[in-house]
Amino acid sequence: MTDMTERKLGVYICHCGGNISDYVNVEKVVDAVKGEPDVVTVKTNIFTCSDAAQQDMISEIQEKKLDGIVIASCSPKLHLNTFRAMAERAGLNPYQYTQVNIREQCSWAHTHSKDAATDKAIKLVRAGIARTGLSIPLSRLRVDTTPAALVIGAGVAGLRAALALSDMGISVHIVELAEQPGGMVGKWGEMFPNGKKGSEIIDSLVKKVRQRENINLFANAKIIEKSGNVGKFSVKLLVNGTDTISLIVGGIIVATGFDPYAPLSGEFGFGLYGVITLPEYEELLAQSAGSLKYNGRDIDTVTYMYCVGSREHFKEDNPHAYCSRYCCTAGVHAALRTAELRPEAHQFHLFRDMRTYGKYEVLYDEALEKGSVFLRYEESEPPEVTLEDGSLKVRVKDRLTGGEEIEIATDLVVLVTGMVPRANPELVNVLKLPVGKDGFFNEIHPKLKPVETVIDGLFISGAAQGPKTLAESVASSMAASSKVGALLLKGYIDLEPLVAKVDPDLCVWCGACEQACPYGAVQRINCDGKEIAGINPVLCKGEGACVPVCPKQAIDVEGYTNKQIESMIEALAREAA
Amino acid sequence: MLKTDAQFVKCVKADTEFNAFACINCGSCTALCPLGIDLHPRTLFRYVLIGARDKVLQNTGNIYSCLLCKMCEDNCPADVPIAENIRSLRSYINRDVFRLSRG
Repeated sequence: MTDMTERKLGVYICHCGGNISDYVNVEKVVDAVKGEPDVVTVKTNIFTCSDAAQQDMISEIQEKKLDGIVIASCSPKLHLNTFRAMAERAGLNPYQYTQVNIREQCSWAHTHSKDAATDKAIKLVRAGIARTGLSIPLSRLRVDTTPAALVIGAGVAGLRAALALSDMGISVHIVELAEQPGGMVGKWGEMFPNGKKGSEIIDSLVKKVRQRENINLFANAKIIEKSGNVGKFSVKLLVNGTDTISLIVGGIIVATGFDPYAPLSGEFGFGLYGVITLPEYEELLAQSAGSLKYNGRDIDTVTYMYCVGSREHFKEDNPHAYCSRYCCTAGVHAALRTAELRPEAHQFHLFRDMRTYGKYEVLYDEALEKGSVFLRYEESEPPEVTLEDGSLKVRVKDRLTGGEEIEIATDLVVLVTGMVPRANPELVNVLKLPVGKDGFFNEIHPKLKPVETVIDGLFISGAAQGPKTLAESVASSMAASSKVGALLLKGYIDLEPLVAKVDPDLCVWCGACEQACPYGAVQRINCDGKEIAGINPVLCKGEGACVPVCPKQAIDVEGYTNKQIESMIEALAREAA
Repeated sequence: MLKTDAQFVKCVKADTEFNAFACINCGSCTALCPLGIDLHPRTLFRYVLIGARDKVLQNTGNIYSCLLCKMCEDNCPADVPIAENIRSLRSYINRDVFRLSRG
């Protein structure tokens, strides 16, 4: 269809119950657009998204045989899909529908001037009409998917994800950098809340994984190459440093975990005899039975130092500003096990804020009951740890005695260290997966897309994404597995057709578009003996970086063609009245 | 500077029921004391929990001034057995400081 063809467009202006009509004069907009070319009907609705209004639009689309509609209402983030589905039910191609945002962009943004809000709404609606008049029917792109998944990391998150995927009938390849699966949890003793050992949890998961016929576990292995796209990634593994294995998978879950924070020398006395980290103390507790000794000596007093490597605001180099979530509860749980091994031990908890959140608050109550003493310190006045004549001392101000300075003679100082992102530049480079300011992998949306990444088909789970407790890691790995399941079990994925398109007659292959594309979607291809730019529509996000750099104007983005954009600019440039 | 003494709490608890873990440091006890004792029970108990034996003994006078009227205890929102704790401390001081034998 070209712009010469007679079109039949419908335009619907929404009041949004006053959200729009309190500032935008809806009737004035109707009058201003009803004479636009090809427009055969203009209506208003109090709520265009209501069932009744949608039903009226469907009837009108069918009766008047409309071949394009414009709805001027809220942000497309809210109702684009609502109205596309409505268009489909009416038999109209959903890509011949345009949503114009006159709520966020007009009534809400220009409450100071009703006239200005109305004029802007008129121009935006005219632009929407111009774009829709040049629209063509488009179909979603269908991509077949491979029912196999790759899980990177065989810690608790990776193993649990692999089992969940295997349960769905998806074959799983797990790749683990270390010689043995298990990750951090595999090294730990009793964990909160039920006292089950980390190593036992891992052993049972590994046993199940090994029993599954549709799970391959590659230890001492890493990924050296990744190409392809959602539904069909090609990955190359290097196993045992020598063998390369090529795999085709439909989806990938990154579950590479964290590193415990390594305190700097001198940080809270780190380096002095008797100053150890929580993971080291965990190991000591795991090995102890009946008594609690450090290098052969009974432990009478333990002092826990919280927020080491977390919530750092004053540190100059590489501060970790986030809270590591698990450590308060882990420290308090360690104190409970200490009290079991040595009930008479005197235990001090030097904290900044105690966050044994949710169901773990009972552990805090129990620790108090068993004699643990909690002292709050300020980040600006950290406790001092010294070793004088072989005895370890901690000095701290106690608020509850009105700020008196206390000197604790202690046998051990346990630095309750947080989680830091695992340094793995090689993997980051192969996956091309962005990391956040804090160094952890970034999700798209912390609330609504918590395991999705900017790379379709690639998901993150566990502490690779940010500090998590074991329970939270497993929950996120379950989320990632169900996302992969939803992607692969159907056998195909439908993608937005709003992607770049190359005119083979105009293209002379200069490579400028390939350089401009941030998604790697452009490739040189051979088309009937001529070298031109080929677009991988699965990788293309339709953002259009390739369009302005093309010297031959050979590229258009579907739904946003040069002609459409020009017609919109002309409509916007016209006086409203 | 308060110095902690790991043995102190143990000794106080040795044959008594000293129990102040629930104290939330609200200060109701101090406000209600009909004698207006110098040292707040909440601070005294904090000294005990920390193991600041010297500080506790400096307050021996206060510990023995208490009438055990339980005005504080009746109104304690955290149900700390305040009077019983004072008796525990007296018992400790009698035994370990004044060396009084039980007869």
